[in-house]
Amino acid sequence: MVTNEARDGACRKLFTDVGKITAKEGITPSALHAMKMKLVALARKTDLFPLSDFEMPVAQGRSHPLLVQENDGYGLYLTINMPGKEAAPHDHGIWCINAAVSGRERNLFYRRVDNGERKGRAVIEKIGEVIVEPESGMAMADHDIHATEVLGKEPAVGLAFYGYALTQFPEVVWYQPQFRSVRASPSRRQLVSA
Amino acid sequence: MPRNPKKHQVSITNANQVINCDANQSILHAAILAGIDYPYVCATGNCGTCVCLLEAGKVSMLAHGDAALTQEQVKAGKTLACRAIPRGDVTIKWLSRGGK
Repeated sequence: MVTNEARDGACRKLFTDVGKITAKEGITPSALHAMKMKLVALARKTDLFPLSDFEMPVAQGRSHPLLVQENDGYGLYLTINMPGKEAAPHDHGIWCINAAVSGRERNLFYRRVDNGERKGRAVIEKIGEVIVEPESGMAMADHDIHATEVLGKEPAVGLAFYGYALTQFPEVVWYQPQFRSVRASPSRRQLVSA
Repeated sequence: MPRNPKKHQVSITNANQVINCDANQSILHAAILAGIDYPYVCATGNCGTCVCLLEAGKVSMLAHGDAALTQEQVKAGKTLACRAIPRGDVTIKWLSRGGK
């Protein structure tokens, strides 16, 4: 039987390892890749993350904090998303890495191709795709744009590691390709301090 | 000859408009296509900006995140326009002015 101490220890070890990588390299593509491999290795230890330890979503998506640093430190979460759960293309303003414990989630990557002259309007184009499933993950830099969709009939259970805790997120910019629109949700920092 | 797809009427009280909504279309999608300045941000059930009061009628819900619509909000008759598919004619009132 897994103990909370074993899980907490593994999460703290990840933070230490990531801290060493960023101290040496900063946040570079190679650093993000190295961090992703560390997260994939942690997600591979499925016995540390039994679903019985985490409430399932009431609706179709839920994030459970595993380890969150204070102030502008890192945030590590276990995410459970049910089949059909999706997120439109968005830029959450801070780097992130994901790795799957179980299930499958498609990540589509985009870039903005308009000049931003028209407020509220944007055009994006797809530039890549990654299926995050066991033994794999994905990494994004600060202002990369991605969309997600749970594939198949099983919940997608994963680890999500962000440069900031969710409560410290900057504004998240959402794109709607079918409407050619762009909208921003306010920073959670503002919501927490309000 | 294909039959016309079934449509429902959606009354949006803030905008004082009644629009048509396909039977498999979200209220938000129909509202935007009708030119209504409905407040939204993510349009995929993650942010909660398009939360509205379902004043009359019933909807089916597409997948959404727990944080975008709480059980308390559901009990209070609220829904997400981006995830709500009308099951008949409905009347709604949006509750946010964000997302601009």
